[in-house]
Amino acid sequence: MPKILIPTPLRQFAGGSDAVEAAGATIGECLEALTAQHPDLRRNLYNDEGKLRSFVNIYLNDEDIRYLSKTGTAVKDSDTISIVPSIAGGR
Amino acid sequence: MIRIDKPAWDIMVEHARACYPRECCGAMLGKEADGVRTVHAARPMRNAFEGAQEDTYVLDPQEQLAVEKEARAQGLSVVGIFHSHPDCDAYFSKRDLENSCPWYSFVVLSVKNGEFDHANSFLPNFDQTEAPKEPLEY
Repeated sequence: MPKILIPTPLRQFAGGSDAVEAAGATIGECLEALTAQHPDLRRNLYNDEGKLRSFVNIYLNDEDIRYLSKTGTAVKDSDTISIVPSIAGGR
Repeated sequence: MIRIDKPAWDIMVEHARACYPRECCGAMLGKEADGVRTVHAARPMRNAFEGAQEDTYVLDPQEQLAVEKEARAQGLSVVGIFHSHPDCDAYFSKRDLENSCPWYSFVVLSVKNGEFDHANSFLPNFDQTEAPKEPLEY
């Protein structure tokens, strides 16, 4: 199964795990499986409309899924999915 | 609240001074217990913004992944993000808020005339509409 790396501040919502195996043929399915296993993660990743929050970027191995097929991106069992918050700003 | 160990704080201030008059950025690694975040290590990061960096910073996602790995290897968490405001106060700007993430403390360092002046820490909410100050000790 694809492995999802859990960012350190979210481990508390994933039973302390730093990585979770989540079944699915696409990124979207894997994230659904992840939040089904760990419902407390859902509020951190999705807004009230069920869309990924604006600050949540997902990487398949080293590639940003926005430049692939977004949550429809196909995944293989050997893949690693990372959750990386988008952070910027300025005075 | 957030407490920053002196060695980590010194690295943050030095990075802010070294980047002046550009904005610096970086990650704070530590632990959280009973609502208190303690920062044991600071990791300066590259400002990935490709335009004028005097008033803008952007974290590099690839470097964020690397910092996450470093934190895991040290048994720490990324508990916060820091950046500097050259020649202005350490407030959380509209752009800071709109590009924030509720998982972290955000420490802003004011650097005036090339020297550290003051700092504040903020806790943005999920909807990126508010970021109340949190007590900061360093």
